[in-house]
Amino acid sequence: MAKTVVIVGGGVAGMTAASRLADLGEKVLLLEREEEIGGHLRNWDRLFPNRRPGSEVLHDLKETLGNRVEIRCNESPGEIHSLQSSFIVELESGEKITCDAVLMATGFDLFDARRKEEYGYGIYDNVITSADLERMLRSGSPVTTSAGKAPSRVGFVHCVGSRDEKAGNLYCSKVCCVTGVKQAIEIKEHLPGSEVFGFYMDLRMYDRHFEEMYYEAQQKWEINFLRGRVSECAENEDQSIVLKIEDTLTSRPLKMTVDLLVLLVGFVQKPETVRIAKLLGISIGEDRFLECLDEHTRFNYTGKPGIFVAGTSRGPLTIANTIADAGEAALQIHNYLKTLK
Amino acid sequence: MDRLYDMLSADVRFKEGLKACLHCGTCTAICPAAEFYNYQPRKIVEILQTKNEEEIEALLKGDMIWYCGECMSCVTRCPRGNAPGLLITVLRGLSQDLGYFTESEKGRQQLAIKRTVGEWILEYGYCMFPSEVRPEAHPEQGPVWKWEVEHIEEVMERLGANYAKTGPGILRKVPDEDLQELKKIFDVTGGTRRFEKIEACSRQKAEEMGMELTDSLDSEYVHHIYTTNDPKHTAAE
Amino acid sequence: MINEGKKRIWKDYQKEIADDRYFYVRSCIRQNFFPASEKAFLRIMQEELKKDVFENAAHTTCSGIGYHSDVVPFDTTMTVIARQFSLMTESGNENLVTSCITSFGLYNEVLETWKHFPDVLKKVRGYLKTATGREFEIPKNVAHASDVIFRFRKEISAIGVNRLVHHETGRPLKVVEHIGCHYSKMFPSKGVGGAEYPYVLVGMVEEWGGEVIDYPERRHCCGFGFRQYLVRANRGYSLANSKKKFESMKPYKPDFILTNCPGCPMFLDRWQYTLSEMEGVTYGENGRGIPVLTYEELAGLILGYDPWDLGLQVHQVPVEPLLDKMGIQYDTSRKFLGKDGQDLGRPDAPSVLKFF
Repeated sequence: MAKTVVIVGGGVAGMTAASRLADLGEKVLLLEREEEIGGHLRNWDRLFPNRRPGSEVLHDLKETLGNRVEIRCNESPGEIHSLQSSFIVELESGEKITCDAVLMATGFDLFDARRKEEYGYGIYDNVITSADLERMLRSGSPVTTSAGKAPSRVGFVHCVGSRDEKAGNLYCSKVCCVTGVKQAIEIKEHLPGSEVFGFYMDLRMYDRHFEEMYYEAQQKWEINFLRGRVSECAENEDQSIVLKIEDTLTSRPLKMTVDLLVLLVGFVQKPETVRIAKLLGISIGEDRFLECLDEHTRFNYTGKPGIFVAGTSRGPLTIANTIADAGEAALQIHNYLKTLK
Repeated sequence: MDRLYDMLSADVRFKEGLKACLHCGTCTAICPAAEFYNYQPRKIVEILQTKNEEEIEALLKGDMIWYCGECMSCVTRCPRGNAPGLLITVLRGLSQDLGYFTESEKGRQQLAIKRTVGEWILEYGYCMFPSEVRPEAHPEQGPVWKWEVEHIEEVMERLGANYAKTGPGILRKVPDEDLQELKKIFDVTGGTRRFEKIEACSRQKAEEMGMELTDSLDSEYVHHIYTTNDPKHTAAE
Repeated sequence: MINEGKKRIWKDYQKEIADDRYFYVRSCIRQNFFPASEKAFLRIMQEELKKDVFENAAHTTCSGIGYHSDVVPFDTTMTVIARQFSLMTESGNENLVTSCITSFGLYNEVLETWKHFPDVLKKVRGYLKTATGREFEIPKNVAHASDVIFRFRKEISAIGVNRLVHHETGRPLKVVEHIGCHYSKMFPSKGVGGAEYPYVLVGMVEEWGGEVIDYPERRHCCGFGFRQYLVRANRGYSLANSKKKFESMKPYKPDFILTNCPGCPMFLDRWQYTLSEMEGVTYGENGRGIPVLTYEELAGLILGYDPWDLGLQVHQVPVEPLLDKMGIQYDTSRKFLGKDGQDLGRPDAPSVLKFF
């Protein structure tokens, strides 16, 4: 009898795993709670490190997937019951689906920047997030302040919601630094006359091409990088943002006004994922990401046979990382299914 | 003598206040003392993290630990849960208990505080008392305060106080038996010992500096520590 | 500015404030500089709201100023505080209400310390027993007096006779609300509204018809700094901090400043005078200062108490411009009289700040 895999989540990880499982001849049901598949990738303009359009990658993933698997959008598991060697997934719509393996590919949420109260997101008009900026860039409309003017000075705040006990997240979200540098360059491309600042604690330029991008940002675009974590923001009468920061390399506390402040928000686990994980009895780390069996050699296995995990629900990953991760997960699922009678 | 770092870490506030600083600077960015003094709370944490005996001794003998206004703005912001403001209270305590505080201009001021606030706590049961805030010594309090002090009993009566009288109420006379309990608490918990240490070290320092120090607030050494402020504390670097 | 954002944050920081049977501990600074405020608090609580507020005459300072200027060791302060709790326990009270913000912060700090380090609590019990023979229970609820007034702001509004509006034009008065650092900077969850957008005073202002203004240095310390004021050589620090705030709030033209810490109104009041003498600058309109009120004084004004009963005459920055805006009557000839009408003269007028 053909074995079925239910993949929870139709983002990068879910689409990739679905394609690979289809390649390997497995039957897949892909559940996506939004109206369409694609996850966060639908919202990005250009991707690091080479600044190619995110829409190209989404197109590629969709093309590869084709119509080879059953996709249900606006659908989400309400309950999941674990049997001897199979699962019953009860959809929110009421339908019950029997399957032999479940892949958690539920992805991530972005940190809600309003929780970093001292930055004033949702209170001061000219404080936006990196996601807001991507949307602006994607829409093709000019980048402006809330008053509709071109900003003459733009600041990027690194580590918003990450590496922060007060925000409840001790971990580094990995992708925000390079996103900050990328967006800083994009601002300069759009507004060559503007002054751009990056306020960082560490610049995590760990992957291929990243360090070169940082060099380009400084050399070609004259972007200023100031080593200090923004402590507080306030609003001037003209709605510009005044921020307090210490330049820790010169040990100088300072106040600076910017016209637009971009908060580089990090990853957080989705509450829905935590709920499903508890239903399935799979472990969640203190950072709320899903635990795997072995960080080096069994990173798509959970503690429960038949339940696998891929993508950012198990920790911060880039898009390329996620595609690789999901491919490995698909192979492991395929091997697992072969062991079932 | 134990190592200074070990003495500091014996204080629970030290444990609470120092948890691996990553030098992000949010404390210094928001610190009022860092705005006006040549000072960064981050520097203090940096030195403490090295656990270096000589550097910590220099810290306890220097001005740096006395700039803080203990507003705790740093505690609100630190992403690692550190509390430079708490660490400063521990450092200041140790600096006095070891007698190092007289080595710095700002540290020497502790005698003035002990002889005012410190003694008022034991004498009145309050940290301050109107007759002690003399307008001549506090021009910044303004002419209304001056008028108030000149008519203190009538003004206090008008404002509904039970000024220096028995029973409950504003600025009441705290009963002697309660003041005695307060004194006993100071004796048992090391408060008296610290007061005595502040006095003893200050007398020694006054002698070294060739200044007169009597029991009075009006003596030469007290006047000197109360008013001396080296421009270097705030000068542009 | 989007106010909804702030409201969302306020919702996250709700704390429990006891509603009756309080044990009241007084503030050294409040008693010295704005004593009528404590009188007003008790009058409002006991006479207007019919609450049980008990004061034990045996209570003392918590030693907070001594602790924060580092002449009093932590062990001593903890034991003094334990003694206060012992008086509470003796009188059968569980709800502590403090007049002082530094005290409030300190009581929280000490209770948290004892929670995380039970050995320290044991040690302090030992100290108190040895020194005084006393024992104590941990209070069930610790609130600041401004929390309590906040809690009953609607009740006060209902029986109030004045509003925070200009009595002629009806425009809401613009208020700078200044929160004492030790209210919530160390323990944001212990303050109504948290540390970034505290709501305890905003709630009062909004309930009573006023409008809160935001300005960049809203969260900045007033600069008391304990030793930074107590020692004359350091006083420039204290002055500079307040000046920073005044410069930042001036363009927004506040009608008055509202504070909840006993020290802050004293500094914000006196430093305006000092700056006017030193630099010739005033921050209100037409050579006046910006009046600074305590929340007790404000509640009293809402309830229609006589301004001189509320102690407004001992403010260095005259409060009359605010009273005029609110349409509150006052008898200038009685401003500086004693309780039985004695003539006590008048303070000298400052050289720059307009005086009444």
